[in-house]
Amino acid sequence: MKPTSITGVLGDFHGPDEALAAAARVRSEGWTHFDMLTPFAVHGMEDAMGQRRSWIPWVTGGLALFGILFAQAFQNYVMVYDWPMNFGGKPHASWPAFVPITFELMVLCAAIGSAITAIVAGKKDTVPQPPPLLVKTGATVDRFVLWISSTDPKWQADAAQRFVQSLGADDVRLVEVEGANHA
Amino acid sequence: MTRHDVSPYATVMDDSQLSGRPIVVPGAGPYGGDLEIPEPLVTGAKKWADVDRDICMHAEQFPTKRWWLAFSVALCFLGLLVFSLITLFYAGMGIAGVNQPVGWGSFIINFVFWIGIGHAGTLISAVLYLFRQQWRTGINRAAEAMTLFAVCCAGIFPVIHLGRPWFAYWLVPYPNARGPLWINFNSPLAWDIFAISTYGLVSLTFWYLGLLPDLATLRDRATHPWRQKLFNAMSFGWNGSQRAWRHYESAYMVLAALATPLVFSVHTIVSFDFATSVIPGWHTTIFPPYFVIGAIFSGFAMVITLMTFMRGYFGMKNYITLNHMENMAKILMLTGMLVGFAYATEFFMAWYSGSAYEGFVFKNRAFGPYGWAYAIMFTCNAIIPQVFWFKSMRRHTLVLFIVSILVNVGMWFERYVIVVSSLHRDYLPSSWGMYALSRWDYAILLGSFGLFFTLFLLFVRMLPVVAISEVKSVMDPTVARGVPAKAAPSPMPAALTGGIPATALQET
Repeated sequence: MKPTSITGVLGDFHGPDEALAAAARVRSEGWTHFDMLTPFAVHGMEDAMGQRRSWIPWVTGGLALFGILFAQAFQNYVMVYDWPMNFGGKPHASWPAFVPITFELMVLCAAIGSAITAIVAGKKDTVPQPPPLLVKTGATVDRFVLWISSTDPKWQADAAQRFVQSLGADDVRLVEVEGANHA
Repeated sequence: MTRHDVSPYATVMDDSQLSGRPIVVPGAGPYGGDLEIPEPLVTGAKKWADVDRDICMHAEQFPTKRWWLAFSVALCFLGLLVFSLITLFYAGMGIAGVNQPVGWGSFIINFVFWIGIGHAGTLISAVLYLFRQQWRTGINRAAEAMTLFAVCCAGIFPVIHLGRPWFAYWLVPYPNARGPLWINFNSPLAWDIFAISTYGLVSLTFWYLGLLPDLATLRDRATHPWRQKLFNAMSFGWNGSQRAWRHYESAYMVLAALATPLVFSVHTIVSFDFATSVIPGWHTTIFPPYFVIGAIFSGFAMVITLMTFMRGYFGMKNYITLNHMENMAKILMLTGMLVGFAYATEFFMAWYSGSAYEGFVFKNRAFGPYGWAYAIMFTCNAIIPQVFWFKSMRRHTLVLFIVSILVNVGMWFERYVIVVSSLHRDYLPSSWGMYALSRWDYAILLGSFGLFFTLFLLFVRMLPVVAISEVKSVMDPTVARGVPAKAAPSPMPAALTGGIPATALQET
């Protein structure tokens, strides 16, 4: 049998209100490497967990600016510098004609870039998570699952388990996976 | 006292108990007034776990006979499309109906028609999201899928309209060995390429982002390890973590904010194809808003058509309730009146401009040889949706279905009127002519419906047709939770329950 190691503790709640209250308690007790796995985004959970607003809009803004500059630069390069042609005596750098493509490229860069960034950020800007294929948390069904990772500086398996039980969670269980601790 | 304390939602079992009006709980409001709460968006006292089962079921079991029947019909029409396209490429454009002076025929009509249909999906997901219209959660997934498939159908037509579709890649500005010879960025046709492809890609991104949590639901329900691995990969290992939701929600909001102007821009740019020309009847400043509103109108009609099927054949009546249908009927009526207003404005401007050509074109539109098409368009788009002034009509499924089909027909004829009636008689009477669809034009039009319904039927078998996680978020937690709350709310006097059984209210 391969060695196993404990990677954290899970405890179930059954409604968003309990989950919010629990998250606020976990935070106020000084835990940092914890998470709440929920079937849908619970309003107020960011505040309860002490998270700041997501920085995704800044990425969007930057990418939108990139889209605008790229589209303008590219169209002017083609129409003015690389292959200037005379269409009905209009100026080569006819910026109003470049507006539609500039707008579309702005939206394209910003939208797709933001979506990819959000997916990557959900994986990277986080704490170690229970592996979804090995641990069925029920968080995609109807459970609001508190997760405290063993990487937390305060981590002690028994204490963490007792603490999650004291919050009123059901089905409190330690998560053990094969192999060395991921921390 | 909060909404959740008095929730009568557990007693609303189906459409027959919905009225489209708020539920009034006398005396339960602030300062002793009445409390009005909106009717539930999900009926049948569903629990969160039931939502998973009801919606994922269709993707997890062997398709029904009815599905196979519908799918085989759709496949036949898809086959017709493939056959007609091969014939068209082999024989050349001569087999289509276009000729001088009507050089833009059914392909452009179909293109504008399908792109218009594709507008409702992103409108529902983005604009209604920004306006906090929670009823969108029941219909947004299917509407967004409809958008994607409509854009697929639309994408075919400009390419085959080129006449030499094997050169379609010349439309893309990339460094090439032909000079490099670039496209003309001053041309609205070049703008179109960017608008349509951006719209398709952003709609796909928005749809897929919304799918992520539901793909994770499918993974957690899957029993076969390959299926689990597939959905785990497709959902990027989503586990519902709040630390992921935080960025996800932010990106979703940002995408909605970006998609909203995008929806309006796409049909604006499509209308530029017409409006930047010098053809009387096309060269008008009303075209962008006129096209956009017509697109939303036709898109909502198609959503109503599809939702009627989903309610009837997929048992989604608890999630797509009559209230959803009524809301869509209201939007349909509003946009129908805006479209009617645009028709009237066009006539007014044709007269008020004093331009003889403009005036002639509009007289010719309504009373010339294509007056029958104008009559179909005007009746279906501006007059028939007026039945929705009556609540009983808005809540009558058959009426909704028939009107939605008629609006789709009317909107196809709107594009027919715009394209054909302006081209067939312009400045010089010596170059007037007539246009008729050839049998291949009809085959390709019917075939595009085959492509659309094939894709849609595959979608309803493979992916969750309702946005599971979003629907869960608008359900009442006191009704939907799996395990009863430990601390029950204080029992309520019967006088406060407004005739609703007190036992039902206390079901928490």
